[in-house]
Amino acid sequence: MSMLSRVAERLFWMARYLERAEDTARLIHSYTHLVMDIPRGSEPGWDILVHILNTEPSYTEHYRAYNEQNVMKFLIAQPDSISGIMNSIRAARENVRTTRDVLPGEVWEHINELYLYAQEYSEKSVGRRYRYQFLETIIARCQMINGMLVSTLPRGHAYRFIKLGRLLERADMTTRVIDVGAAALLGDERLHSSVDPLIWASLLNSLSAMGAYRREIGPQVEAGAMVDFVLRESTLPRSIKFCLNGIRQELAPLKNNKDATRLVLKARRKLSGFDPQACSREELHIFLDQFQFLLTNLYSSIDQTWFMTAERRATATLG
Amino acid sequence: MNKSWKNYRADAFYDELIAASGKPRVAARRVVKLLQSLPKEEMASRRTAAELAIREMGVSFTIYSEGKNIDRAWPFDIIPRVISARDWAQVSRGLAQRSRALNCFIDDIYNKQKILADGVVPAEIVLDSGNYKPQCAGVSPLHGAWAHICGTDLVRDQRGRFFVLEDNLRVPSGVSYMLENREITKRVLPELLENYSIQPVDDYPSRLHATLSSLSPRGARRPCIVVLTPGIYNSAYFEHAFLAQRMGAELVEGNDLFVDDDDCVYMRTVDGPLRVDVVYRRIDDDFLDPEAFRPDSALGVPGIIRAWKAGNVAIANAPGAGVADDKVVYAYVPAMIRYYLGETPLLASVKTYLCMNPKDREYVLANLDKLVVKPANESGGYGLLIGSHASAAERARFAALIEENPRNYIAQPILSLSTAPTYIDEKVEPRHLDLRPFILQGKDIWVTPGGLTRVAMRKGSLVVNSSQGGGSKDTWIVEGNR
Repeated sequence: MSMLSRVAERLFWMARYLERAEDTARLIHSYTHLVMDIPRGSEPGWDILVHILNTEPSYTEHYRAYNEQNVMKFLIAQPDSISGIMNSIRAARENVRTTRDVLPGEVWEHINELYLYAQEYSEKSVGRRYRYQFLETIIARCQMINGMLVSTLPRGHAYRFIKLGRLLERADMTTRVIDVGAAALLGDERLHSSVDPLIWASLLNSLSAMGAYRREIGPQVEAGAMVDFVLRESTLPRSIKFCLNGIRQELAPLKNNKDATRLVLKARRKLSGFDPQACSREELHIFLDQFQFLLTNLYSSIDQTWFMTAERRATATLG
Repeated sequence: MNKSWKNYRADAFYDELIAASGKPRVAARRVVKLLQSLPKEEMASRRTAAELAIREMGVSFTIYSEGKNIDRAWPFDIIPRVISARDWAQVSRGLAQRSRALNCFIDDIYNKQKILADGVVPAEIVLDSGNYKPQCAGVSPLHGAWAHICGTDLVRDQRGRFFVLEDNLRVPSGVSYMLENREITKRVLPELLENYSIQPVDDYPSRLHATLSSLSPRGARRPCIVVLTPGIYNSAYFEHAFLAQRMGAELVEGNDLFVDDDDCVYMRTVDGPLRVDVVYRRIDDDFLDPEAFRPDSALGVPGIIRAWKAGNVAIANAPGAGVADDKVVYAYVPAMIRYYLGETPLLASVKTYLCMNPKDREYVLANLDKLVVKPANESGGYGLLIGSHASAAERARFAALIEENPRNYIAQPILSLSTAPTYIDEKVEPRHLDLRPFILQGKDIWVTPGGLTRVAMRKGSLVVNSSQGGGSKDTWIVEGNR
């Protein structure tokens, strides 16, 4: 059975927003943890989270100072903050509201419950006292919904576009965590080098990859190995390599997939040609920057090929 | 007995569950007994559970207020309405008969117009009505069926006799709530259903699917069926999505569809254009096709009427079916049943005064305080006058409206609508209600067992529309007596 372009687009964005809510929750979770481990005075600023999520303009519209209270309010409870948890959940729900007919019935119920939960508790969870519990619930519920999709949705177009959205968002988030997280944190003069491993471990934690790293490489986290791991370990579900492979696999059965496939293959080649162990921080940054650009192009290609209805295309040409 | 039921009295009205003697009716005996045995706190906690279930299931409807759309949780009363299968069988036959006659009428009006030529129905009330769509003349849909989905509003008088209040033949809504109400009862009062044999309602979507499939212009293969919605901001969007999902059909908006040079309807998919066989549209005629009706409509599909007339796509309900959904035409339905089917009407209609007839008008204007005056052409309980409840000024305003445009108004005696026990605050009190069953007609005819019961939640009120504060009840058709 085929699928409406409009529905495919909404499913894709539903998955992106759901992934974004989970990833943002993870990021805040591990960062809060990190801050408590670092000696007072040498802890990095909370602004780093806003930079990672690339959402400074929207932040400065609402707040001036980058303190914990403001940043947490912005990322957890602010209803119109693009990468914020509340907004992502609302947007995911809104997309399911208009695509319920192609999803298993329980998915709507659970997204709806997640939304009601976030609505009720996000404000109260800005402070540290309840923050953990809130973030853990958000992560668990997002995973439950994903699990439901994975275990009940037939492997057709609905599943395909959901998976594309999820993997693209995840790849995007992983590159940002490494780029801004690593570059900015490690470039900071205030930081004592003895806290380096803590920071790397925290980043791994935020990608849910600490356990895997320990087993594969060892308990001591070291910069080059860590970056290599989250970029190129094909068995790690949050690595860039894994995301690209998954995208490639889902593109294969689609019609008119030439352009998008070409871009995925190009990204994969770029990834294998890069050696994180031997590069400088500056080179890492340039690489990630170019890589992000590729991901943006990949999204435009998907959008143009499968989502853009003739009508939108007509207005786009006209206007 | 739990205190909330104390002093329950339905006065002069027919009560669905409690007989005049104060004892429960036979079919409802066990429900009443069980509910009465529940402690007060338990009743309250079941109601809370129902509210929670409604929120979790996301059962909602949208109302427009002050230019804004507000998504409201569906109002539900936990005490079911119980009707015996024997009583229902008769009503069900009457509804099927009515639906057959109405479809004969619509098909006749857009083709030979025999009923007008024979003078059974005055031609001017049909052909001058805004509901008559000249664009549809000469079309003969499959099985002679135009109103494929009909929602007929029924009420019961003080003797418990069923009357037809109106037939909704355009885009009747409410069936998803009928299904969800049963689902909620199963969740929050499972023990109530234990010893009953209740006719299931869940097969509505598959019956609807079968009805729509039987309309497909392209032979026996699995037809492509879509539900056409005006979008998320429509008050019945929840239902559009619900039905599409339960039928496994595609839920589409106007710009998901287009009509190509071959006069066929296609939807835009990730695999390219895909031909559509049946459109279950939930958009009014006027907005369906800017080529044929309102040119400013952005909701519809340009050319879809062209495709329909060429026989390349089925539209349910067919455009123009609203010609029989008119409160003036309503008065002639018993005559249609005799004319087309040669049968005696099995269901009673309410005595209707047509203000266009001088004699009727005179009576109406003299007796406004005893009548309900309705515009011939509105739904949702808007713009009507309940004479006994209205102020003198309102009655005067309506008298002027009637004089100005008599064709547009009808009047009916005020019925003493039946009541049923309804859980209000901490007490069980009688509230007035109606019933909307749904009748499907394609190749075959099928009537829902029961329907959607709507309740006027305010004491003494007769207005049951959810847009005006009405609630709803699960409706049971129960087999056997003991």
